[in-house]
Amino acid sequence: MGNKDDEFVLLIQENQGIIFKITTIYTDNAIDQQDLYQDIVYQLWKSYGTFRGEAKISTWMYRIALNTAITRLKKEKRTGHRVSIDQVVLQQTENYDMEFEEKLKILYAKIHNLNVFEKGLMLLLLEGKKYNEIAEITGISASNVGTKISRIKQKLKNQLVK
Amino acid sequence: MELEELQATWLQMSTELENQKKLTNDIIMKMTQDKYAKKFNKISLFETIGAVICFAVALLLIINFKKLDTPFLIGCGIFTLIFLVILPVVVLRLLSKIRNLDIISNTYKETLIQYTKTKNKLLLIQKINLVLSFVYFFITLPLATKIIGNKNLVLSDKGASFYILIIVVLVGLFFFARWGYRSYKKIITGAENVIKELE
Repeated sequence: MGNKDDEFVLLIQENQGIIFKITTIYTDNAIDQQDLYQDIVYQLWKSYGTFRGEAKISTWMYRIALNTAITRLKKEKRTGHRVSIDQVVLQQTENYDMEFEEKLKILYAKIHNLNVFEKGLMLLLLEGKKYNEIAEITGISASNVGTKISRIKQKLKNQLVK
Repeated sequence: MELEELQATWLQMSTELENQKKLTNDIIMKMTQDKYAKKFNKISLFETIGAVICFAVALLLIINFKKLDTPFLIGCGIFTLIFLVILPVVVLRLLSKIRNLDIISNTYKETLIQYTKTKNKLLLIQKINLVLSFVYFFITLPLATKIIGNKNLVLSDKGASFYILIIVVLVGLFFFARWGYRSYKKIITGAENVIKELE
């Protein structure tokens, strides 16, 4: 493997958890999730040569991964083996902890109830990104990020009441 | 579960994922190969095959166009040609527009708006296509009868079963079109709300 390949492999090795999390919130079954995972890695690889370090590598990565997730064309109905989101979540942790898995299920259910733009914002917020970086990735102003996040918090509270 | 609690759960999951990295260098490099990318173009493949079939039928119709000897049959022929050529071209162009979205330099907002607008157009064309395919069914009957059997269906004697078939198809068309319109409206309304919020 060349130097560029090595660097890329290292980048994916270090960030595979992030890609996994993105694929989980934008898909609802294991087959789509695996497809999206491969697609994101492929798109990152395709654009890796053009990355010039003007933005932070994480900003670049989140942007491409999120853009790939929302622009994927897929068949409306899958004919293959379907795995429900419950099973997808359960596969995430090797050391099975029932209480934690239950919390994860609630977490994903809440994210899946958000619209596609809010999902992206929520993911970045949960990843601990500052408003400025969220603004850079999503293309809305930092103040708008604040407004939208307040709205998401309200939505989450309403879900709790229901 | 409050936001803070969600964040704590997310953090715990992130830590666990960090500890169970499963991808080997080999798997990562395999994912970057074209053979994986190709399978994401399945939809375009189906649409392309469909378009080729449409173009072949259109060509057959052009070759036999002089057999259409009444204004009605000529009108049917022109409609069929438009249906067979324009719609597949529009669908393929929209698909190519989606595939060529600049996901590297566009922000999430720009990508979402461009994608959703193009996808909505694609859905609209597909729904129009569905409805027109019923009209197409009626039009191809006299066309095919004329081109293959050299008979004028409009002037020929038709049995009761022919009219029963027409009624059954019309009733089917009504329910199918209503179902198609409702499901289209449902999808589009959700997508348009997201765009409205962002613009």
